[in-house]
Amino acid sequence: MPVSKETLKAMIRDYQGLPISDEELDKVLPEIENYLAAAAQLDELDLSDVMSARLYRTQELGEANV
Amino acid sequence: MSNSELLKLTISELAPRIKSGEVSPVELTEAALAEADRLQPTLNSFITILHEQALAKAREQEAAIAKGEYRGPLHGIPIGIKDNIATKGIRTTVGSKVLKDHIPAEDAEVVTRCIEAGAIIIGKENLEEFAAGVTSNNLHYGAVHNPWGLEHIPGGSSGGGGANVAAGVTFASLGTDLGGSVRLPGAFCGVVGLKQTFGRVSQRGLMVTSFNGDHIGPITRSVSDSALVLQVLAGYDSLDPSTVPVPVPDYSNNLSRGLQGITIGIPSNYYFDLIDPEVEVAIRKAITALQELGAETREISLPSMRYAAAMRIAGSADAIVAHEPYLKSNRDDYGPSVLYRTLAGQFVLGKDYSKSMKVQRIIKEEYARVFQDVDCIVTPTTPVTAPRIDADTFTLGGKNYQVRGPGSGMVTRNTAPTNSTGLPAITVPCGFDQRGLPIGLQLIGRPYQEELLFQAAQAYEQVSPSLGIRPSVVAGC
Repeated sequence: MPVSKETLKAMIRDYQGLPISDEELDKVLPEIENYLAAAAQLDELDLSDVMSARLYRTQELGEANV
Repeated sequence: MSNSELLKLTISELAPRIKSGEVSPVELTEAALAEADRLQPTLNSFITILHEQALAKAREQEAAIAKGEYRGPLHGIPIGIKDNIATKGIRTTVGSKVLKDHIPAEDAEVVTRCIEAGAIIIGKENLEEFAAGVTSNNLHYGAVHNPWGLEHIPGGSSGGGGANVAAGVTFASLGTDLGGSVRLPGAFCGVVGLKQTFGRVSQRGLMVTSFNGDHIGPITRSVSDSALVLQVLAGYDSLDPSTVPVPVPDYSNNLSRGLQGITIGIPSNYYFDLIDPEVEVAIRKAITALQELGAETREISLPSMRYAAAMRIAGSADAIVAHEPYLKSNRDDYGPSVLYRTLAGQFVLGKDYSKSMKVQRIIKEEYARVFQDVDCIVTPTTPVTAPRIDADTFTLGGKNYQVRGPGSGMVTRNTAPTNSTGLPAITVPCGFDQRGLPIGLQLIGRPYQEELLFQAAQAYEQVSPSLGIRPSVVAGC
């Protein structure tokens, strides 16, 4: 999903982001487009009941470590 | 034994000689420093070489051994430390202009542990600016060169460490791995790189990082050396909430057990979907070798890996938080590649960050299911061998991919997922491409089961076509 430079500039302005010039936005855009593509792919998933990731379950630590 | 012969040894080979007094830590350190000086103009692998300090420490360690106070296999061993790991009283730049004069007040926990184990730190190693990239082509401190092909990158971000270990300058280096930054230099430089389980080793003292999926891990010349270094690094740190208080086994115990009874998973998707043909041939040969060594192999499927790229979303947002103070105070000191890549993180929406963390959970669950049937998983460490330093892109499957900066990520495709899942992974050399550049085999294991990874990697290492082959820059080669 493409995003316009105007949208990004508005986000910076309205959310007190770090300023980026027009020229710099051109360099940043490929990274943003990669992010948006990866995020769009998640639209096909229902993640509402999925727990977050960081901690291991006890059994993931192995028998000796429980 | 000549200096060039000494410098080719592994820690496992040196340790008993140091313990018995046959090898002097002072002479060994002098030899390593001389080699560092000789190769620095060629490899540019250090930001700071610690001549006087290293020799003073070597003299202390030699005296301790003479008094019968031998501290273990790292005692008297010259090592390197990546320059984003804090060293008390020693300039630590994180490869940046922003922190070019920064002198930490405390050692990182891993540095403390290495010093207590008697290791001799001979220098702070060059890296990608802020450890944010795979090239180790540093705008401020110059490009690190790959000992196997000087016009090629050594991988990154811990490129100085990979180059030093491969070139026979250090016997081990501590790198950091947030997306593959220990394993990529391991693969591209033909050495062993370990990213242990998240929580196994303290990150305290690792600078300018989100800590979310970052790991400090060893780069070594052999699997047994990797086990020896992890033995020193591993363990709970009460001042680092990311570490987990699980017992630390003897990592050298199972090294020689072989592969009988071990089941290895071969992914049928993702890891082999985009791969250079020469790399794939080497990996398939390695799999055959593992089978011949007695391992059972089983095809596995990881369908959720199609969402692997989404796991990077959280990392992108984390990066802007880690860099925000420096971007506000020293933005003009950033190189463009890191600047543009980092600035993109401020556009990540909260819902996408949350989804990214949930996808990590789905993928972790999938690996957990797979690990009910297999003991470890084999993949290529990287889809390609080391790109040229002057290349902006490389071609794979008829498509061009960025080597650095915004839009890059193909090089870390196979390594970055375990930074998100936290699973341990090791790379071991498994041959060369037609240009003589090394290829790495990655083994991924269950959480906190590094000893099984070492067991499998050590068995393969003994039959690897890379065994005993050194780059021509190594003294005496």
